[in-house]
Amino acid sequence: MAENATTHDDHWDTSTAPLIISVGILFLCLAFIFYFVYDSGLAAIISLGLGTPLIIGGIVIWVNETIDGESEGLSVPSMGWFILAEAMIFLSLFANYWLQRLLTPDWPPAGTPAAMPVVIPMIMTVFLVASSFTIHAGEARLENDDKAGFVKWLKITMLLGAAFLGLSLYEWGDLIGQGFTVSTNVYSTSFFSVTGFHASHVLVGLCIFLTMLLPALKNRINTGLVKAGALYWHFVDIIWFFVVSQVYFW
Amino acid sequence: MGKVLSEWIFTTDHKRVGILYLIGSIAAFCIAGIMALLIRAELTYIGPTITDDPTTYNVWLYFHGAAMILGFQIPALTGFMANYFIPLMIGAKDVAFPRLNAFSVWLFFMGVVLALLTFVVPDPPDIMWTGYPPYSVITTGNTALYTFTVLLIGFASIIAGINFLTTVSFMRAKGMGWNQLNVFVWATIAAFVIQLIFVPVLGTAVLLIAFDKYLGTNFFDTTTGGDVLTYQNLFWFYSHPAVYVIFLPFFAIIMEIVATFCKNMVFNYKVVVYGGIGGIVLVSGEVWVHHLFVTGMPDWIRVGQMVTTLLISVPVGLMLIGLVGTLYKGSIDLSRTPMQYAMGFIFLFLIGGLTGIPNAIASLDLHISDTYFIVGHFHYVMAVAGTFAIFAGVYYIFPKMTGRMYNETVGKIGFWLSFVGTNVAFWTQMEMGLAGMPRRYYDYAHLPQFESDQMVMTVGSVLIGIGFVLALGNWIHGAIYGEKAPDNPWGSNSLEWTTATPPPHGNWPVLPTIDPDWHPYNYKGKR
Repeated sequence: MAENATTHDDHWDTSTAPLIISVGILFLCLAFIFYFVYDSGLAAIISLGLGTPLIIGGIVIWVNETIDGESEGLSVPSMGWFILAEAMIFLSLFANYWLQRLLTPDWPPAGTPAAMPVVIPMIMTVFLVASSFTIHAGEARLENDDKAGFVKWLKITMLLGAAFLGLSLYEWGDLIGQGFTVSTNVYSTSFFSVTGFHASHVLVGLCIFLTMLLPALKNRINTGLVKAGALYWHFVDIIWFFVVSQVYFW
Repeated sequence: MGKVLSEWIFTTDHKRVGILYLIGSIAAFCIAGIMALLIRAELTYIGPTITDDPTTYNVWLYFHGAAMILGFQIPALTGFMANYFIPLMIGAKDVAFPRLNAFSVWLFFMGVVLALLTFVVPDPPDIMWTGYPPYSVITTGNTALYTFTVLLIGFASIIAGINFLTTVSFMRAKGMGWNQLNVFVWATIAAFVIQLIFVPVLGTAVLLIAFDKYLGTNFFDTTTGGDVLTYQNLFWFYSHPAVYVIFLPFFAIIMEIVATFCKNMVFNYKVVVYGGIGGIVLVSGEVWVHHLFVTGMPDWIRVGQMVTTLLISVPVGLMLIGLVGTLYKGSIDLSRTPMQYAMGFIFLFLIGGLTGIPNAIASLDLHISDTYFIVGHFHYVMAVAGTFAIFAGVYYIFPKMTGRMYNETVGKIGFWLSFVGTNVAFWTQMEMGLAGMPRRYYDYAHLPQFESDQMVMTVGSVLIGIGFVLALGNWIHGAIYGEKAPDNPWGSNSLEWTTATPPPHGNWPVLPTIDPDWHPYNYKGKR
């Protein structure tokens, strides 16, 4: 941000990243439409092949342009507003799930395996809760200006998150192998939607961490980004308590 | 030339992003307006008039509704106007996150591109803008197009909301207190709070119909225990508050115009802000069930929701009192086009508001639900009143935005044509609805008594169309050939008029500082 007024008339601030990412997202939507509506795998793969690099490239440009900016910006309060919106997505999914549980006479409905997983979700809970503490440890290191310590704890957090995702995928594969798929019954529909939505948030969280980690290796760290990303990660962790208590153990 | 173009499409400046929003939303408005005229042409006579295919008619209805609400009104108000006015009104150099702002407008454009694919794909969506299952799940139409249009435009408005809430909270001019904000700033951030809370619910609902249709889930499939009414609840849980997302900024822009052209303090400023705007935010989430009165529900829910729905008229009434009170003892200047639109707005909004009350009362709603009465009502209160407010707002900011003046005579002719046309078309429509004409019908051979009324309505809609086209032409002509505008042509006291015309990059050479006794509507000794 140029503070001196005299340079203002010569140029207008620009960034190529927003348009590039938007076009990439358009291609992702088209890929879905090609594959599921028009049964055209080839067109879907081409759209995917165009959209994904555009999104990744756009994010790289964006991070590269902004990471050295104001370190204590307004990212944290705005992340709070974003979390409000995210919470509403989960609330509507849970509302749908609770309603169906109340309206269905015999629960769990036919087609549900006799033994739903118990041990794996517990391990996953431990991983995710631990990762909330590790990212907090990373933040504390950063406040003491210990950049190497921050990078170490960030890596541990990302490993825990990835392990969580891996276990989630393993458990999904196991359930699908037992014939419990999205279309089995209302429970399977809600189960895969809620856990899938949560897993996608873990994935987004990991991507946010990646946009911190890669520049951090070159000693470029933006404190505002770290705090906002950590706040998002805590939110994902809290939502998991609802997921695990409602769709697994209730 | 290349530099100019790239400075526009890669811009992160809030004024340019705002103008991009205006271009996109006006484009959506034009195409959706053509759909409206096609619908009217089809309904002028009994039997097939301009198309033999009822599905084509359904596609027009779908596009008209979806594009007018999601592509025109919400982006024009919370996109264009919020972007152009808010940083100028609060004395900021830009929004908090300029890149996020540009991302928001381009996501919106991608949503409009997806919506326009309706006219390219072989099986366009034909599910109205509501997308109710089970039809939206079993239709051969392309429901995914609808889902992604809603998701992209919805996400665009969520990031815009985050951006503006942060901007207004932290980037006000030095010394500007919360009670010195323009009503428009208050109303728009309130609309963004509503967006942030409710858009995700709509996004989830439309995503779930795509899941049901393409991935085989059971959310709304009654044969496996799903529930179609869940969709209607989720949908209206957003889409009724969406009315207030549109209402709050459009009402507030009229407030700005009336205050400026009456040179008067907004009447009951604090009551309007905290009681009216705040009250709407509080009540907006508890009213959606009146859209489902006919679906069958226990009486205690019907009566309870009737009360909460009627309750929303209290904050709306407080705002209307503030608006009319601002006229009282003001030095009213009716000679300008924005003020004429504002006065027309008050008339339309009053009729629309009063005809809303029977829709809230369950016993009456059971009879008028899904008739032309409903359609006439929401066109009065939201569709045309909102469009009048948007047009008034564009005329109002036009000199600041383009640095030139529009043609006052053409502006007024355009206003009167669309004002008369609106009352001809939608008053007739409400009368037809009370007499029993159902909405959404492609043909009405079994209701021949309505043919003459339908013809009157078509004439009215053509008048509206001509009026709006005159306004659009006036803007384009004025932006290129109009005479140079002064910095403050209306003599407003508000902050956005203190900068140069058109505002430079960074808005002010030195950001303004606000005295404790300054107020945007304080015209004491300035008349």
